Amino acid sequence: MVKVKIINKPITPFISDDSRKQDGAELIFNGRVRNTENGKEIIALEYEQYEGMAELELKNIAQLTCEKFPINDLFCQHRVGIINIGEISLHVVIWSKHRKEALAAMDWFILRLKKLVPIWKWAIMTDNTRVPSECEH
Amino acid sequence: MIKVTIKCFSQVKYALGENELVLELENGSTSSNLEKIIRSKANGQLDDISLRIAINQHYESEDTELKDGDEVAFIPPVQGG
Repeated sequence: MVKVKIINKPITPFISDDSRKQDGAELIFNGRVRNTENGKEIIALEYEQYEGMAELELKNIAQLTCEKFPINDLFCQHRVGIINIGEISLHVVIWSKHRKEALAAMDWFILRLKKLVPIWKWAIMTDNTRVPSECEH
Repeated sequence: MIKVTIKCFSQVKYALGENELVLELENGSTSSNLEKIIRSKANGQLDDISLRIAINQHYESEDTELKDGDEVAFIPPVQGG
């Protein structure tokens, strides 16, 4: 099963509980906002999305990931708007029978997300100027 | 004539100073015709930036004839995550 959301508020991680009997691996990834951009100090990132298309692309990639790898579920939340240093911008959880397929699926999913989902970053510098981010990692 | 809406994001928004443009084009105009117009409006600021096109919120890899009412976005390199 796939669940994706793009939200404009702090991310609440998906529930991790003991109810899953078939999954030996629960892999969690949190992407957080760093305090530097190309060596310059920043105070936050502002994430801009193409509303509608961003969530459609995210869902397509999540579904493709589930078809390509033997995983059971992939849940993802991507935050947009202003995100302060240290806060989570991307939260992904993958459940699978074994760890290897979850690790491979996570890497593939995030690489595709970074190539295709129409979301962009603006760096908010220490003097409060706002410039398009040049970070492509 | 056809009328299309252009959604602007990131460097495209920065270069054009607009979130959205509505342009009238000749019948039979294509996505590459429109890309030339958008690049010329940016006065060189988009010259080194590769743009992928989305029509009605779907990526198009080929030059595509535009229709009246289409929503078009020229997508600069994305940076999610």
